[in-house]
Amino acid sequence: MIIIAPYAQKLRTGNLNPKNYPYWKELIEQIKEPIIQVGVEGETQLVPDFRKNLPILELRTLLKECRIWISIDSFIQHLGWDEGKKGIVLWGPSDPLIFGHPENINLLKDRSCLVENQFIWWEATEHKNDRFVKPKEVLKYLEE
Amino acid sequence: MRGEMIYQYFFQMLDIKGIAWEWLFADKKGQHHIHQRANSMGYEWVWRCDDDAIPEPNVLERLYYYANGVDNNIGAVGGSVLTPPYMPDTSKVTGKIDNIDSEPNIQWGKIERAKQVEHLHCSFLYRAGVCDYNLGLSRVAHREETLFTYGLHQKGYEILVVPNAVTWHMKNPEGGIRSETKQELYEHDEQIFRNILRYRDKTIVVLNCGLGDHIVFSHVLPSIPNAEVFTCYPEVVPGKSIAQAHQIFGDIDPWNIYKKMDQWKWKDSLENAYRKMYL
Repeated sequence: MIIIAPYAQKLRTGNLNPKNYPYWKELIEQIKEPIIQVGVEGETQLVPDFRKNLPILELRTLLKECRIWISIDSFIQHLGWDEGKKGIVLWGPSDPLIFGHPENINLLKDRSCLVENQFIWWEATEHKNDRFVKPKEVLKYLEE
Repeated sequence: MRGEMIYQYFFQMLDIKGIAWEWLFADKKGQHHIHQRANSMGYEWVWRCDDDAIPEPNVLERLYYYANGVDNNIGAVGGSVLTPPYMPDTSKVTGKIDNIDSEPNIQWGKIERAKQVEHLHCSFLYRAGVCDYNLGLSRVAHREETLFTYGLHQKGYEILVVPNAVTWHMKNPEGGIRSETKQELYEHDEQIFRNILRYRDKTIVVLNCGLGDHIVFSHVLPSIPNAEVFTCYPEVVPGKSIAQAHQIFGDIDPWNIYKKMDQWKWKDSLENAYRKMYL
C-alpha cells in the first residue's frame, strides 16, 4: 500500500499553492498498488480511499504500515522522516536542502526551479508546472 | 527638520566630509520601530543616540575602541549620559538587572572605570543583528533600551560602561515619547518588561509556525536547557498557547524562524536553523 499526500496548505489568496505537484493523475494511473490519499476536507479526491483530517497518531500508524509514501513539501514529509519511514518528496519551488531530509528520496527537477527567497509567503509565488519532475521519474524510484 | 538650519548645516557637513547618510522616519509607531530597522540593515555596529543628546567629540571613538575588545564578545558599550543638574553617584552601582529597582542607572553618573553590566539605559554603541527590539512595546517604548541591552547580555555578549565618553542629555520635556501622557501605555510596557524578567532563567521557545516545523523542532527540543515552550500544535510539541506568548512578551516576532532564516540568508537545514536560534 502506498500513501499519497498530494496537497499543500491552501493559500489565503485562493490561488494554487506553488508547491502542489501538477501531475498526480498521470502518476496515479501508472501505480499498480493500492493507494490511500491523506489530506483535509476540501481537497480534490484523487483515489477511492481518501482519508480526511486524520489525527497525527493515525497518520503515524498509516505511515508505518505503508510500503512507501509520496508527498509534496508538506508536513507529511517531516512526519514520515520522524517515523523513520522513507518516502518520496516531489519538490518544486522550495529547497530540499533547507526544508527536506536526506533520509527521504527528494525529487527536484533542477535547482534553477527554486524560488530565490525561500522564506516569503507562498502567496507571492506563481505555480508553474514545469518546476516539477514528470511521473516517469517518480515511477523509477517507486519501483526500486 | 528640513526647515531647521542646524540640521541643514549638519547634513552639509556630513556631505563635505564624505560620510554617507540617510534619514528614515519612524512612522509614528515609536522609536523602537526605527531602531529595529537600523538594527536589521546589515551593519555590524549601530550607534544609537537620542536627538536631544549631545555626545562629546570623542564618544564614538571611545565606544568603538572598547567594542573591538580583545575577546570579540562585546554586545554593547555605553558611556555616561548626564542630565544636569541630576548627577547621582553611581560609583557603587552594579548595573545588574536584579538591582534595577534599587539603584540608579549607572550611565546617569560619571563613570570612572570600565565595568561590565547587564543593561544600559540610553545612547550606546551595539552589535547589530543579534538581538531584536521588542516591537510589542507601545509607542512610548518604555524600557526598550533596557530590554534590548539585557537581551544582548542574555545571548552571552558583554555589556560595558566605559569612562571618558560623556554624552549630555538635554532632555526636551516635549516631543517624542515625552508628549505621551497615557499612563496605560507605560503600564503595558512595564508589564512586558516584568514578564520578560520573570522568564529570564528559561529558554523561551515560541513556535508560531506550521505543523511540519513543529515536527522538525521536536528533534531540537531535548538539547535546549530549561525550555519554556509556546506552541501551535501541543500534540506535537507540548506547551502553552501562542496567545499567551503574545500576552506575556508583547512581540513574538523575534522567535519567527522564517524571518530569522531570511535575515541570516540561510542555506542550511531548518533543523540547524532552530539549533542556531535556541542553542
